[in-house]
Amino acid sequence: MTTPKPPPGHFNILYFASAGSYTAKNVEALPAPLPLSELFGQLEERYKGIRQNVLDHSLVTINLAYVDVDGDEEGDETKKVVIQEGDEVAIIPPVSSG
Amino acid sequence: MQPTPTNNGGLDDGLQSQNGHDRRLTDEEFDRYSRQMIVPGMGKEGQLRLINSKILIIGAGGLGCPAAQYVAGAGVGTIGIVDDDVVETSNLHRQVGHATSRIGMKKVDSLITHLQNLNPLPHYIAHSYPISARNGADIIQNYDLVMDCTDNPATRYLISDLCVVLQKPLVSAASVQKSGQLIVLNCPPTPQGLMDKKYPPCYRCCFPKPPPPTSFVSCGEAGIMGPVVGMMGVAQAGEAIKILASGLHLSSPSDPEVERNLIQPTLLIYSYDLESAVGPYSFRALKMGSRKKKCFACGENSPENLSLEGIKNGIPNYDTFCAAPIAKVSLPQQDRIPAAEYHDKKQKGELPAHILIDTREKEHFSFGSIDGAVNYPFGKLLMKAALIKRDGGDGDEILSPISARTQAKKDDDGKDDDTPIFVVCRRGLDSQETVEKLKELGVDHGGKRKIMDIIGGMKAWKEKVDPSFPYI
Repeated sequence: MTTPKPPPGHFNILYFASAGSYTAKNVEALPAPLPLSELFGQLEERYKGIRQNVLDHSLVTINLAYVDVDGDEEGDETKKVVIQEGDEVAIIPPVSSG
Repeated sequence: MQPTPTNNGGLDDGLQSQNGHDRRLTDEEFDRYSRQMIVPGMGKEGQLRLINSKILIIGAGGLGCPAAQYVAGAGVGTIGIVDDDVVETSNLHRQVGHATSRIGMKKVDSLITHLQNLNPLPHYIAHSYPISARNGADIIQNYDLVMDCTDNPATRYLISDLCVVLQKPLVSAASVQKSGQLIVLNCPPTPQGLMDKKYPPCYRCCFPKPPPPTSFVSCGEAGIMGPVVGMMGVAQAGEAIKILASGLHLSSPSDPEVERNLIQPTLLIYSYDLESAVGPYSFRALKMGSRKKKCFACGENSPENLSLEGIKNGIPNYDTFCAAPIAKVSLPQQDRIPAAEYHDKKQKGELPAHILIDTREKEHFSFGSIDGAVNYPFGKLLMKAALIKRDGGDGDEILSPISARTQAKKDDDGKDDDTPIFVVCRRGLDSQETVEKLKELGVDHGGKRKIMDIIGGMKAWKEKVDPSFPYI
């Protein structure tokens, strides 16, 4: 997966495994800044049904570190996380086969 | 060989010798393991820990084969392998522990044959039955570390839960098509429910919700590249060897040494891109969170949710947790036609001119299809349907991606084209959903146009019509 630098005012979002098949993309650039809590809504608007089929059971990272999208772990911390220009967000669904 | 004292957190500093850890190596062991023992941080101490360790490999397939080879080669003393499958020809491009001469043999026996040839010193234990909620704890409790090399979500959750309750480290890898994942879980093993500081996560901490059954694809369905799953299996063996050689599996999270060595758990992602042959290799190491307070299996209130007794008696129920609200399409009989009937009627010229849509992936389609079929992969069709719904376009637009291929049959007088449509897929589910979707979009023009499902897909075609059909 080659990742070009996102254009100014954007962040890159990487789609792994079934997220890639659902969006038919490995990567795209979305407008930044974007509060993390609004990410799934944005994606649902672009890819109808992605929430239920992919996002709800996927884990999300920002700049290679796990973030808790549900925000039920560290109080209200997650609600404050904002995806910034130039960030790399990844959607990682579990893979089960072997 | 005396271990060199180190102060950099290497494998041979840390835990002092367990039972048998200070015996002499035999000449054979000395010779066989010399090249890995001289690696800084390994030494005789590390080797003896490996020899005294018991590892359980669950799954003797694409992950289990390469993983087992390196675990056996490294001299882990006891190696148990669980699998109830038999070796098939279609396994061999990736399951390198089997052989053409052993097709039809139980995978466990085939793999152990291979491993014994590689290294006769370890003690190999064959568990040639599937792991289940009923037998899982009894198997796992006899081992020091578990490697999850299985192929389905329900078993992954079961294994993780058992490892949490039995306090076993779990090295978990998975792979399908062109991507792979690897993560070390529950290491060092930590009692359920402890939350006073950071502890390692379990599988449910990372993936609390199972993928919907519709999105789960097996290697048999989606395909798998040998080197991708092989890479994951080898990396998995590397992690297991590291844990056992360093004695991390015997430690508790409160050991100061362990705390010092305890780096943040990492999820390794490998993606392999067939489209860019010279593109960069893509590995990503993602920093994972620690144990989650709300985790069902290991979090704050987990002892109330999960116990060995419970698991044995079917609580939680892994099958319903991960499963199968079976795709609930039940087309009325008049919208369906058996594969053989379609064939007969077509032969006899009893079918009107029609469009035949094959919704398999293009790779499947490329091996062969029914005469006159046009390929319109199910995923693309669903995406197109969603777009039309969102933008409120004309339902017939759904056929635009294949219209070039079906143009000849179109009316040019501006009237609706009522050419009947037949839909076939791989096994007969996607085609039913396609028929439903097309009707929902009004492609049937209020019933004037027939849209029919060919029952059982190309699988039925092979069974009932053309046994030589190259069905995968």
